[in-house]
Amino acid sequence: MDDINEIKKNLGTKEVNTWCPGCPNFLILESVKTALAGLISKGVYRQEDFAMTTDIGCSSKIYDYLNISGIYGLHGRSLATGLGVTLGNPNLKVLSFMGDGGCFDEGIAHFMHAGRYNADMTLIVHDNQSFSLTTGQPTATSQEGYISKASPLGDADFPLNPIKVALAAGIGFIARCNARDFKHTAEILEKAIQHKGFSYVEIIQDCLIFNKNVNNKDDRMYKIENNSDKKKAEKIAGEYDYNNGHGKGKIALGVIYSEDKPALYEKWEQLKALKEKGVGWKG
Amino acid sequence: MRINILIGGKAGQGINKVSEIVSRVLTSLGYFTFNYRDYPSLIRGGHNFNVLSVSDDKIGSVESKLDIVVAMDEKTKELHKMEMKKDGVVIGFEEFKELGRNLNIAQSGALIKILGIDKQVLIDEIKSQFKESDEAVAAAEKGFESQEGKFEFKKLDRDVEIMHGSRAVAIGAVNSNLDLYIAYPMTPATGVMHELAGRMGKGHMVFQPETEIAVVNSAMGASFAGAKTMIGSSGGGYDLMTEGLSMQGMAEIPLVVYLASRPGPGTGVPTYSLQNDLDVALRGGHGEFPRVVIAPGDPIECIEKTNEALYLSEKFGCVTILLSDKHLAESEFSSDRKANKVLKVDVKREVAGEGIVKRSSYEHDKDWNTTESAEITKKFADERIKRYGRIKKECEKFQMTKLFGNPNAKNLVIGWGSTKTVILDALDAIDGSIKNGKGDYKFLQVLYMKPLSSKIKEEIEKVSNAGGKVILVEQNLTGQLGRLIREKTGLKIENRILKYDSRPFYCDELKEEILGV
Repeated sequence: MDDINEIKKNLGTKEVNTWCPGCPNFLILESVKTALAGLISKGVYRQEDFAMTTDIGCSSKIYDYLNISGIYGLHGRSLATGLGVTLGNPNLKVLSFMGDGGCFDEGIAHFMHAGRYNADMTLIVHDNQSFSLTTGQPTATSQEGYISKASPLGDADFPLNPIKVALAAGIGFIARCNARDFKHTAEILEKAIQHKGFSYVEIIQDCLIFNKNVNNKDDRMYKIENNSDKKKAEKIAGEYDYNNGHGKGKIALGVIYSEDKPALYEKWEQLKALKEKGVGWKG
Repeated sequence: MRINILIGGKAGQGINKVSEIVSRVLTSLGYFTFNYRDYPSLIRGGHNFNVLSVSDDKIGSVESKLDIVVAMDEKTKELHKMEMKKDGVVIGFEEFKELGRNLNIAQSGALIKILGIDKQVLIDEIKSQFKESDEAVAAAEKGFESQEGKFEFKKLDRDVEIMHGSRAVAIGAVNSNLDLYIAYPMTPATGVMHELAGRMGKGHMVFQPETEIAVVNSAMGASFAGAKTMIGSSGGGYDLMTEGLSMQGMAEIPLVVYLASRPGPGTGVPTYSLQNDLDVALRGGHGEFPRVVIAPGDPIECIEKTNEALYLSEKFGCVTILLSDKHLAESEFSSDRKANKVLKVDVKREVAGEGIVKRSSYEHDKDWNTTESAEITKKFADERIKRYGRIKKECEKFQMTKLFGNPNAKNLVIGWGSTKTVILDALDAIDGSIKNGKGDYKFLQVLYMKPLSSKIKEEIEKVSNAGGKVILVEQNLTGQLGRLIREKTGLKIENRILKYDSRPFYCDELKEEILGV
């Protein structure tokens, strides 16, 4: 197999990067490249086997920086687009990149159904608890009281807990990572991508410009062993409420829940046949 | 000979079965039938009716005066007695009370007798439909014996097939080797979803995701990955999809959208029909990008135009909207014409998996990476217009319009979509304009709404320069095709026959309207 650094280099592009200097998105990009390069070097997948679907927002600029197939789609729709890619060719390994706003505001309907379909794909949410590319309005995961240009009196609503929502929606692989711990993130991503069916990886990241009040939670984070006990997963999910009273609530990192369920391609004869042949509808 | 039969009752009583039995028998004898379905938005109860028109000549409409009323309840008799001809016949329900749910079979039998058709033809049809059920045959016989013959529908030497637009669109899609149909239920588009789901085997797949927004975005994903993909909805669902159509305009991923319209705005009159969505078919979605809008006018054209839509979208990476309405989607037409030869739809482009393929909703450079460069933005905008030029040229290979009747007739009627067949019938009822080609009227049917054929301008000018009348017929409030023609040609059609009560034109009604111009 090729040298892993060479593969990683091939996974990059020459596009000028427009993320803010020091943005944890650079670390997420590094983790994704590491995870993909690991899988490619082990011969599990070819570079051509991956397809990304990206949203609109800072997270989704990754489309320009990652040299794999993909669609730079509409805001909130990355999961729907990704689902379609797996319907078009169940042999493609789909990575959907979204921010917290796209996933839990605009596009939450798609998130609620993703576990049911269980298409073979990985959702990576860059969660910085704000709409940053539109200059910092509150999202569904912003803390109560968040003051922004759009919410000068403070955000009136409590945040959604994405991990709890994911558990309730029956998603079969749920993990949380810290963007700054990029090696751990890469390991988790590798697991998520290899999980059969839908996997959800939430990456907690700071935004250096907006909603800085929720930054720097590393001292509250701790790593867990892979868990497949639902009760335990619910308990872990409840430890941190995203409301972020400083110093309150431990933040578990790692695979919070995993379960083997039939994937979309196993439920449809047509897709099963394509999967067995190793092709999409084009043949 | 032409007669009109109304079959009415409560939803759930099996009205459609009567139409089906009788029209199958009649078409097997070589007659043409047209079945209009009128039903409110409820599942059980209420008042539903079908009007079945039968003729020894081609028809594509119903008439307002009834020869026979098949009443499954008292309400049907009350509501429709004023529409009866003087010598009209009523087939009641009282005498078949003991048959319970087989009332509709008995009434079918009665109808067959009145039409003067041989009993054995009835029995054979009942046996094939009800798996040799003795009970069904007995009910049909009881109905048959209860009546006297009134008409004489003797066997004709002709092959006639019954079809509704939904089935025809599904056949057109299967003919084109469609891989995926993705849709969320919405009347009257759901028929295509049902037809394609019913035809699922090892071939294509029908998938119903959570919203119309998921429909259009997943369709883009699937088509990107190489699947020949089509989606469908009606007005409201289509509105939800329009951001996706706009993205298609940038991403150039082949996409076909079946849009079956119903009366709006809002939820409107959901189970009735109106041609009120041409505007939104032409313009839904922000930004400026190429698209094709095709409006077939009968089921055979639905088969052909669905095939053309899939062909054009795949060849040019464009969105093609196949525009229909409830009347075309759900009415049962009959025809002795076979569809044109199928165009092969080939996915020739490189797709993900074969190499690295990118597509974006952002303006992009040649490698599909994001750009905000003024120069590249202009270049790709110019490219979109050029691509539309190539699409237009290709469309000219197909029948973008059709002219019926004498090409030198004095007057011209223009219409599109589901009004096609009633216009043909009305002009024939006036002076046989279509059938003998010697009358005062010709009919120009517009099938391609975008691009629009230059033929339209030529025909309008030809007729108005010679002092003839140009008459626009549409089933909407504002004359949407008329406005489109004016936008594209500068020509205003002054004579407009517009019906917008959500019910299709009756043939005799339209005839009077045309004569009144």
